[in-house]
This record gives sequence, C-alpha cells and structure tokens, in this order.
Amino acid sequence: MGEKARIPYGTWGSSYFPAWQTSALAEVNIGQFAGESMNRIMGLRGVPVGELEYLVIGSTVPWHWKFWTAPMIASCMGHRIPGYHVEQACATGLQATLLAAGEIENGSSDVVGVLTFDRTSDSPVGVFPERREYQRTVPIADVWDNFGFDPATGQAMLATAGNAARKHNIERLEVDEITFHRYEQYYEARSCGFLDRVLVPLDILNVQGKPLGTIDEDKSVRPITMEGLRSMRELDNCVTSGTQTHAADGMATLLVAHKDRVQDLSPRPEVDIQIVAKVEVRADHALMPEAPSLAVQKLLTRLDMKMDDIAVVKNHNPFAVNDAIFSKMLNHDWTEMNKTGSSLVFGHPQGPTLTRVIIEGLEEAVDLGGGNVLVFGCAAGDVGIAALFSVA
Amino acid sequence: MTTSTTTKTMRQSTLETMGLGTVLDMFRSGKLPVLTEDLVDRVFGPADDRGSMVISGANGIVGAGKTMQFASRLIDFGVRIVALDFPGSPDGLGKQYPGLVRAFGKDGAAKIMGNVVQLTYDGKSLPSELGQLNPRFLLEAIPEILSIKREHYETFRAAFPDIAIRSVTSGFPSSELGVGISHPAFPHEINKIFEVVEDEPSDITRLMWALGLIPLEVSDDWAFVLDVLFCGITNAAVQYHQASNMPYWKIDKFVRRLAGPNPFRAHDAIGAKGANFLTWSCLHHLGEQYGDLFSPARQMLSHKDTGRDWYPPNHFRPMVDWKLDAEAEEEFNTWILGPLYQMTSLMVAEKRSHFAQLNVIGEMCAQFRKGTLALMRAAGADGVRKTVERYHQLFPAAADSAWHPEILEQIDSPEWQQLYVNAECDGETGVITLGRESYNYDIDAELNRAIDWLKEVGVTSVILTGDFHLTTQLVGADTSEFYPAIEDEAAGTRVSNDWSRTARRLADEFETSVGVVTGKRCLGGMLELMLHCDYLIGADETRFGFPEVTLPVIPGMEGCHWPIRKTKGEGRTKVLQMLLGGRPISAADGVGWLLDASGSVEYVLQTAWSIATGGDHGITRRTIETGAIKDLPTEVPGIKPGSGATEEARRAIRACVDASCAVKLSKAVDVQSKHSGGFMITETCRRGIVGSDYTKTMKI
Repeated sequence: MGEKARIPYGTWGSSYFPAWQTSALAEVNIGQFAGESMNRIMGLRGVPVGELEYLVIGSTVPWHWKFWTAPMIASCMGHRIPGYHVEQACATGLQATLLAAGEIENGSSDVVGVLTFDRTSDSPVGVFPERREYQRTVPIADVWDNFGFDPATGQAMLATAGNAARKHNIERLEVDEITFHRYEQYYEARSCGFLDRVLVPLDILNVQGKPLGTIDEDKSVRPITMEGLRSMRELDNCVTSGTQTHAADGMATLLVAHKDRVQDLSPRPEVDIQIVAKVEVRADHALMPEAPSLAVQKLLTRLDMKMDDIAVVKNHNPFAVNDAIFSKMLNHDWTEMNKTGSSLVFGHPQGPTLTRVIIEGLEEAVDLGGGNVLVFGCAAGDVGIAALFSVA
Repeated sequence: MTTSTTTKTMRQSTLETMGLGTVLDMFRSGKLPVLTEDLVDRVFGPADDRGSMVISGANGIVGAGKTMQFASRLIDFGVRIVALDFPGSPDGLGKQYPGLVRAFGKDGAAKIMGNVVQLTYDGKSLPSELGQLNPRFLLEAIPEILSIKREHYETFRAAFPDIAIRSVTSGFPSSELGVGISHPAFPHEINKIFEVVEDEPSDITRLMWALGLIPLEVSDDWAFVLDVLFCGITNAAVQYHQASNMPYWKIDKFVRRLAGPNPFRAHDAIGAKGANFLTWSCLHHLGEQYGDLFSPARQMLSHKDTGRDWYPPNHFRPMVDWKLDAEAEEEFNTWILGPLYQMTSLMVAEKRSHFAQLNVIGEMCAQFRKGTLALMRAAGADGVRKTVERYHQLFPAAADSAWHPEILEQIDSPEWQQLYVNAECDGETGVITLGRESYNYDIDAELNRAIDWLKEVGVTSVILTGDFHLTTQLVGADTSEFYPAIEDEAAGTRVSNDWSRTARRLADEFETSVGVVTGKRCLGGMLELMLHCDYLIGADETRFGFPEVTLPVIPGMEGCHWPIRKTKGEGRTKVLQMLLGGRPISAADGVGWLLDASGSVEYVLQTAWSIATGGDHGITRRTIETGAIKDLPTEVPGIKPGSGATEEARRAIRACVDASCAVKLSKAVDVQSKHSGGFMITETCRRGIVGSDYTKTMKI
C-alpha cells in the first residue's frame, strides 16, 4: 500500500473482552476507558504517548461525548493530539489501522495511534424522528435493534448466516466441529501464554477512586463439548447459540509509524511489519458470511497470490458458518487458521475485534519467523473486508 | 563545638543564625533573648509614635493570609495593618474572616479585622491617608513582575524614605529586587515559616520570631530552599510522567507514599494558574543556572501557559488504575529520589541554610514526611550515590551539572546527624532541644545520641525542651511511624518499646531531669516523653493532653501508667480523665499531679535552670511508684459517652492502664507496649484517623 508505514512490533495491546453485562466495563464511559487504557498499555510497552502525533479512533456504539471524537479520547490518554473517528461496523479495527497508515503515507504524521473500542453493554437508545410511523419517533437500542434488522434487506444478521449456509450446502456437523476446534485453539493459546503478550489486565476504578473490578479475562468464555454443541437448538440453518459469537465490551490499540521511527518505538525494531493490500466486497442480498471469502478471493487475485503464500490466517468469524464457507470457497483447511483463537470464541465488541485479530495474527507470524498475515472479516451490510500484512 | 567560654554544643543552634544565642543562654539568663515589646518599638517606633505595617497586594492569596497573621499578632501592640491593593481586586481578606472566627471567636475576629485598614491605590501614587498611618514596614506581596516590584519600592521610598521593605517573592533574589525577602510558605494564613534573605539578622526577623513565627535565614538565590524542593519534586514527577505515561493523579499517590508530598494536588489546591506559573518560572531560572536537572519539562510549560489543573476534571475522574511491580517501583523511586538527593547536594554545597533548616523546610512547607537530609541520612552515602547514578542513567541530561557527591562526606557530622535534636551544656548542666514537633524514629535516635553526648561530657542534670524556633508546639508522635504497625503487631510493640526505653533514660541516667514546655501545646507522645523527666514545668499558655483516644491508639510511651505512678488520689482520677476523655488541660490546671510548676516563660526558664543547677526553687521532687498499684479509681467522672469506636478505645486504654499499673515499674514497659501494639491491628484502629491515613497513603 505504501513504502513508509510500518506497524512497530510490540507497540500494541488489547483489553480482554468480557461478555456484555458481565464486568465493570458495563458501567464506564468506554471512550474514557479506552483512552486511559491506551495510555496504560503504551506505558507498559515502553512507549511514551508523547511520541504520538495523531490518533485514529474507531467505535460503533455511541458513547457519551462522542461528538468530541478523537481529541477527547486523546485527552483521556494524557496527550492532546488531533485525530478523528472511523466507523464501519465490525470492520472498524482494520479500517482504522489502514487509515492510520494512510496518515503516514501522506506525510501528515510519523506516529499515529489506532484506538478501537466499544461497549455493547447497556447501549444507548436513540430516539429518531420518523414521519412514516404514527408515533412520529422511533426508539432504537443501538446494538440489539441493529443486529436484528438490516434496513437494506429487512433481515437479521443471524438470518444471513442461515441463508449463506443454505447457499453453500454447509452441514450442521461441520459447523459444530469448527466451533469445537476454535475453542480448543483459544484455550491452547491461553494456556501457553500466547495471549499474555496481547491482552493486558486492567483495573477499573469507580467514581470514588475505589476498585470497581479487574478486566482480566474474556469473561463468559467457558470450555465447550462436542456433545453440548450437538445438542443445541438451531436458531437458523446451522446456527445455534454455541456456533455464533457473543456481544462483549473492550478496547484494542496499536501504533502505525513511519519506518524511520520504528527504531525508537519498538522493543524489536528488526521486525518489519508492512501493510500490503486491502480490498472490500459486498455480497449479495443477506449473505453476509459469504462476503469475507469473496474479499479474500479478490485480494489474492489482485496480488496474484495463493493461500499457500499465506503464513497466518486470521478472521473475525461471528458465525462458525463463515469459516465453513471460507474453507469451501478457498479450498483451505479450517484447522489451519485462527490458531490462537478467534472472535467466535472470545467475543465481539465490534470496534476493537479486528484490531485484536490483527495483533494476534502479527504475534503469531513473528513466532513463525515471519510471513504473510491474512486478516479478514465480515461487516454489517453484507460487506467483506480482507487485508494482507507482511512480517519479516 | 564551643559557642562561648562556658557553653558546648553538639552543633550550632538555629537560633544563632538570627543572632539570638543558644537555648542554654536563655535558661542561664532566665529570659528570652529579645522582648517583643522592644522589637515592636524598634520596628514600628515607640508607643506614642507607633507606625503601621503595610501589606501590598493584600487581597492576593499570600497578602490576605499574611494580613491575618500579622494583624492578629500585632494588635496588642497597637500596630495597625494597612491592606493595600488595587480597586476592584477580588476580596481576598473577606474570605479569611470565617477562619479568624474559628481561631479567635467572633469578637476576637471582629477586633482583628478592625485593626486592618483597607486602602486602594492605582499602582503609581499612594493614597494620601497612608501618611497619617505612619507606615514603617512594607511587606510587598504584589505580582511577580520585577519592573513593577522595583517601581513599587521606589514609590514607597519616595513617600517614606525610612520605611523597611520585605518582599514575599518566590521568584526573585534579593540582589535583583534591592530589598530583603520574607518568603512565606503555603497555607499562608497558618504556616508560620518564612524564608528570610537579608545581609544580617534584622529586627524585623527577630520580631517575627518573637511573635511566634518561624523565620529561617537562607541564602540569596533565584529560588529559595522551599521552591527548589517543591518545584524540583514537581518537575521530577512530570519527568517520570513523560517517561512512563503514568497519569499525574497516580504519580501524586506514589510520591505521597514514597516521600509525603502531593505535588500536583498542591498546585491545584493553591490555584493552578498562579502555582503553575511560579513553578515554571522557578524551574526556568534554576535550569538556566544549573542545567537540565531543573529545566522545566515540556508539560510544565503547557500547564504554565494554560493554567490548567493537573488532576482531571470531575467528570473525568480516573477510571483505569495503575500499579507498579517491584522493579517498576524501584525505577519510580529513582526518578523521584534521584533528583531530590541531587538538588539537596547542591543546596548543601552552596551552604544555603543551616542543615536543620534545610531539612525542616521540606517537612513543614512541602509535606515531606522526612526532610531530604533525613532521607539521605537514612539511605546512607553509598545509597544516595547509587540512586543518583541510577537516576542519571534514566535521565542523562541531569548528570551534566549540579551534582555534589562530595558533600556526602559530611553525612556523619553532628550537623547532619542531629537534624532535629541538639544538646548544649554548661559544666554539669545540659539542655536537650527538640527541633521537630512530632516524635519519630529520627528524633528517637538523635535523642539517644544527645543523651550519650551529654553523659560523655559529664553532664548530670538536663533540661529537655523545644528548640524555641522550629518547634512552636509539641504535638505528639508522628503517626506515620505507626503505618507498619497497622498490619504488624510486632512493629507496633517495637515502636512503643523502643521509644519508651529512650524516654526512661531521662529518668534513669541523670541526677536531675527537667521537662520544659513553652509552646502552644504538648500532646500525646511528646507529653509522655516530657513526663519521664523528674520535673515538668509548663508556660501558662501551654495546653497538655492525651488525644490518643480520639485517633484512636493506645498511648505507647508509658502514658497509661507513668503519670499515674507519679501522682496519688485525685491526681490519678485526673490522669484517667485525660486519657479517656482526650480533652487537654492548661498548665496551671495540671500543677501538682501532672506538672510540677507553671508560670510565665521567664518563670519557667528561671525555675528550670534553678532545678537543674541545684538552686533554691522550692519545688518538691515527686517520686514514682515502682511497685504494683492496687487502688486505681474504678469510676472516672466527667467522661461523656462517645461513639462506638471511642468507647472501644476507652475500654482498650483502660485495660492497658489496669494491666500496666498492676505490675512493677520494671515490667510495665513490656505490658504497655503489648497493649499498644495489639490495639493497632484492631479494626477500631484501622477505621480511625491513623488507620484511614495509612490506607489512604500506603494502600494505593
């Protein structure tokens, strides 16, 4: 995508993603939390936030004082810099990273922070004027009412999974097996300490300055059994409560910098991380889980690459159906992806989900000694997004 | 050290820096070295031509505080205070009134305010009424702009050629201003400390001392001792913020736990707009003179320019907490202590003030639990060197200048070893002076060394007293020393035991010991210490008390049995009333059962000297009951029912009294210490003032 932008290795981190309504994050202004957490994470990574020149934030659920966007969050971070807010549903984390790289490439800044966050708990309720309703106003609970109704198709997100599974003749058994395998991958990554390099425990204070809670686990993620998955009732074709993600709260952050600044920022400046390319596609009517696979196909075609050229495959998979379709369309073994877990398991706070996925993917590639990292996912509106990173 | 043909001292008395001689001189002469009335005459003229004191900038934070302080002290001498300021200045004086009422009552406050004449002027010409008030002394507290200050002095000198002028500046040296300096410490209405810059100790400085203020002679520099420490630790904290990202509010908590001050909270409390400017200005000048050890951090400039608070606004109360693991905490300590040690080395090398004064300024003006010289002494010369070297690795720019490790060779000198306690003697009579208002392990160690020194030089009779300078009262034990005891019973028992055994040396190791208290109050551990002397004499205005029940803690230096063993009958009931009620008494009310005599300061000085030198004083020496006491009063009248915690504390104190009196004196220390240490780990203590302070300060 450009010659200048790099992601300095190790200048990143994510909170754990506790499921919605299960943690102290359900009670905070998530924007303030994200700003303060980024400051904490960068402190732990040895990066003075004074080094940052610009901040791209991403979130999808409105938060108090959102009007003030990145400048407000930067103040909470402790460093008054400009920036803006980006939002593209579940693609937000990847888009924010790419836009930050754009700031480097266009010469505006040399060090740009990416900060993505969302609180799905107690989402705000918007009251919108609507002349077509007899009440003249319509209240919409930001998270759940939107999940349940795509105005462009009139269908719920869950329905798109069922539609796509039907179109691709996906079997329920395979979906359950994928889900079971993803849990095994997640627990393996957790037990071997891999996730400790990505996730940062954070202590939350109440307004009196007393402990409100510690965010130190992807709360509500529990070991799962094949029998349990098999016994679950289908909500739509191949979709059960066990084979879809859950709403969560959290934040994730990383830096994008000019290649000349990597030396100052990274604990391992010899690791070179570049953003190679990105594409987006839109699937047909109400077929969202198919969209990421279409995006990857397009990306590989444009880069004249094959899946064999990819070292690490990571995606945001709100439905296990997504992975089954991907495996079929790209002819890629679904056990050979998401090796450190995925959002199907650890939950989905929307804005930061793909940011965490990127960080995990890059860490995994560094462990392998480098290689191409494919990150992709779906987003509201039957959109698929895919990007390629190279780690050398 | 020998200061006269007959007086030997461990180290120089701080009084001598003002030309007021030694404490022993006072006892020997039976009077204070100067009289307030004489000094008022010298500064303001005789009673039939009494002049006034002008405070310019009187509505500012400093001016208003000092107006109240001087108005309340000079009213009895017929000196009027002229409060001068611009028309339209915000009413800073009116804000002081509620505090005056609290301190002096409504009538007293009205009387003091009635002694203040408020005048306005345009900054260039003085009001005509001022001449009628015969101004003799101007205390200038106008904004910190050099040209305006100089012009201000010229205006006054043109109108009143003989007027004495002092500036409260924290920003300019005397050499730049052309006037002497009396730089006060925050909070201005109650803090008695003034850093004084003048060629020779003046009558104005001595008058301040005589009025109960605490003038401290310091050298003339772009920033005086207090500002070097206060601005320096603020800058160090900002530098740490830059390196670590830790928010200011959390750094404040770690600094407080480590050393005592809250540099950022202090700026906000004083008023960030003004305080940020003064701190930046001080650092800017210091940086130009001494290099990057002091150069203001980038955020200092930003906060100076915007005047914004360091703490987040209320709607952004901190949400994400910060913790330090052991390694990170050691690095934090280095970031803070390294520059503090280095700055102190500079001030010692430049001989900026008496060691005890250098040390106490940090404690009494900048919230340090221990002054920086005491901190360095505790760390040891090698420890200080290592910390500064580690700091220079973290912040190499500071290594280029202003580091004087050679001064550490003085660390074993009496000046550095006796920061709080001095000893003076004349033949077989000695005086031990306490230069700290609250008792801690530093005082304890220094007191032991002072006793050792007096015995070595052949002293057989000793007077124990405040130092008539740095201590205007003796408030008791430094409760921060109890922090380890809140979670460790053995630590509480140890502190009680150690300090009690030091106190017993006063009773056991001299033929005669006399405790003398002349300040405002003598409470808690300090009273227990004094009670160990064979005689206790107090000035009439001094209040004595055992406030432990209100904290609550159990008196740990034998307060639960020693005073009971020194009295009988009704006296024992009165001691119990003090212990269980917590209400202080006057010196006169305590004579015969708690004290042996009371009177004017001159009477106290003369009587104590007479007792110590074997003169004819007419006071019978009370004996101490060394056996078990079996007839303690069971009923203690006059104790009003208290809260649950207070009643719990009373039961614990009473149990300690019963147990420590039921054994021989030789066993009583251990009994008392066990009770005292045991109580400090109780929930009652933890929820009280000491426990809450511990939690707030240490459990962060």
